[in-house]
Amino acid sequence: MEFEFLIDKQKDKITVETGKGVFRVVGPDGTQDLDIQRISDNCLSLLAGGRSHQVFFARDKGRLLLWVDGEQFLVQEPTNEAGGGRRAEEGAREGLWRIAAPMPGKVIKFSVAEGDKVRKNQTLAVVEAMKMENELKSPGDGTVKKIYAAAGDMVDTSKPLLEIESGSI
Amino acid sequence: MKPRAELFKKILVANRGEIAVRVIRACRELGIRSVAVYSEADRASLHCQMADEAVLIGPAPSLESYLNMDRIIEAARRTGSQAIHPGYGFLAENSDFCRRCEKEGIVFIGPNSAALELVGDKVRARQAMEKAGVPIIPGMKSVAAGLEECVGQARKIGYPVMVKASAGGGGKGMRIVCGEDELRPALEAGQREAKSAFGDDSVYLEKYIEEPRHVEFQVLADNAGHTVHLFERECSIQRRHQKIIEESPSPALDPELRAKMGETARKVMMTARYNNAGTVEFLLDKDRRFYFLEVNARLQVEHPVTEMVTGVDLVQQQIRIASGQTLELRQEELRQRGHALECRIYAEDPASQFLPSPGRILYLKEPRGPGIRHDCGIYSGWEVPIHYDPILAKLIVWAEDREAACRRMLAALDDYVLLGISTPIPFLKDVIRHPVFREGKATTGFIKAHMDGWAEAAKDGEKLRLALAAAAYLASDQKPVYRPEAAGAGAGEAYSPWKTLGRWRLGE
Repeated sequence: MEFEFLIDKQKDKITVETGKGVFRVVGPDGTQDLDIQRISDNCLSLLAGGRSHQVFFARDKGRLLLWVDGEQFLVQEPTNEAGGGRRAEEGAREGLWRIAAPMPGKVIKFSVAEGDKVRKNQTLAVVEAMKMENELKSPGDGTVKKIYAAAGDMVDTSKPLLEIESGSI
Repeated sequence: MKPRAELFKKILVANRGEIAVRVIRACRELGIRSVAVYSEADRASLHCQMADEAVLIGPAPSLESYLNMDRIIEAARRTGSQAIHPGYGFLAENSDFCRRCEKEGIVFIGPNSAALELVGDKVRARQAMEKAGVPIIPGMKSVAAGLEECVGQARKIGYPVMVKASAGGGGKGMRIVCGEDELRPALEAGQREAKSAFGDDSVYLEKYIEEPRHVEFQVLADNAGHTVHLFERECSIQRRHQKIIEESPSPALDPELRAKMGETARKVMMTARYNNAGTVEFLLDKDRRFYFLEVNARLQVEHPVTEMVTGVDLVQQQIRIASGQTLELRQEELRQRGHALECRIYAEDPASQFLPSPGRILYLKEPRGPGIRHDCGIYSGWEVPIHYDPILAKLIVWAEDREAACRRMLAALDDYVLLGISTPIPFLKDVIRHPVFREGKATTGFIKAHMDGWAEAAKDGEKLRLALAAAAYLASDQKPVYRPEAAGAGAGEAYSPWKTLGRWRLGE
């Protein structure tokens, strides 16, 4: 079986053979048998050629979080490309920036209104979380096309707060 | 011998998170009943679960709950609490609240209101300490009256100078000024920020001490004025004027300087007629001259490092002192033993300017082992609310010496599993591995100078391969896992852990 994952946002593949109590990883330079023991709902023990590794894991909304010997990995489905908030730059290709809050929080204020012309790095909105205010800046020159929230709203990183249509002003 | 005053029967803890849990533990050990207060956002929080009683005091925003004096006093009265422990932050250094408690006949576990007022006013505190012969940072002894006065004063002090808020703290209202042309905008910005943070726009100028170390002394004083210091904590590892790693002893002090600073710290507290636990902060410059900075009139976040090296339980001492007991510690009997380090575990992302990262903690495994302490306000499954300070927990280690403590801290951080939200654990590891920190040479400029633009190092290839294998194993693992909710509903249906993740694309 070949599995394809997004691991830390990078596509990666692994081929394994399972059955008869063996979990075999098939690589270009040969195979490796892993002895995998499920310890609990959140823990695996891996023995690889006699070397012992601890793995902890948890799942949440299309994410698998893995901890392997002190390092963390984020695993997602390969189709789930952005995996959460769309990055502002990605929208720019269509001449449109969709700007989401950088963290879940509360909108303190919008500094612009729909139809406003904005310059690069101009403050668009202020979002607060955990007693820290964060300013959302415009990624470029353009026009505020749409505002999706209002001051006082609780927002997360998955939905855009506003859209900016890029263009000279 | 006089019989000791009786301890309180019941204490209300006017705080949340790890510090509320810490105080509740101390109450338990002393056989005192504890009352938690909680906001609507904190019903499921650990402090609310651990206390003997819990009282809802209002909606999520702090102003309507943890800062709401009326509701907290009312909760104390209704539950018959004899004393209130304010923890740190919120109402801990609020002299109005302290006075309210005094008037209501509820003991405020902290200093008396007069001492709290004096040390809370930076300018008055500077004046009082200078008079007592305590070294202060060169600068103005009174609030700035206007620009002309400041221009003259700044010339006298010598640039660079620092604009500071009289009511200040936490970096608010602070500005560094390198030349005369920068003075006016800095004063205006400082006043504006001070006004909005403290409701008081008084500012003053001080000499800016370059590359200082932040060294503070823990003090305990009983109600009769018997005052001891419990040595220093070094807190030079800061970002945005906020400490993230603390230790005791400070690698910068020798026994002579330590004794001198400790005596000065006692003098500061006695001058202020301070009682209960408090901390005297000093700046130590390149030439090992020290200056009084301010008094933190509360239990500090980093108090555990002092507890580890002195063996004194500061929270229990606070409660004993507030109950009216005599402090039995003698200065000459106090010792610093070994070395302690603390790392603060915040809900924040070190790779993106330490932005807060609230959310659900999907899994938590606390590090264990000899010399490891974890002061913690969180648990697996808890949703970290967005309304409050991002501190989640503190990891403290003790070992025979500094190097052993660094190694123990690294091992403990390696063993710390917190899945679901970002934490600075990888960043903290890199700080402790850094040669400048390791040699004990870090100043308050360390993070800016050595960790700016920090990004996590490329992941270990072997671990990545194992992570992939684990992901594949979990994806292919068809063994039914017992789930209470699945057992009720789709009876007999095998639970696939991957259902929640949709379908995986399988090659060939």
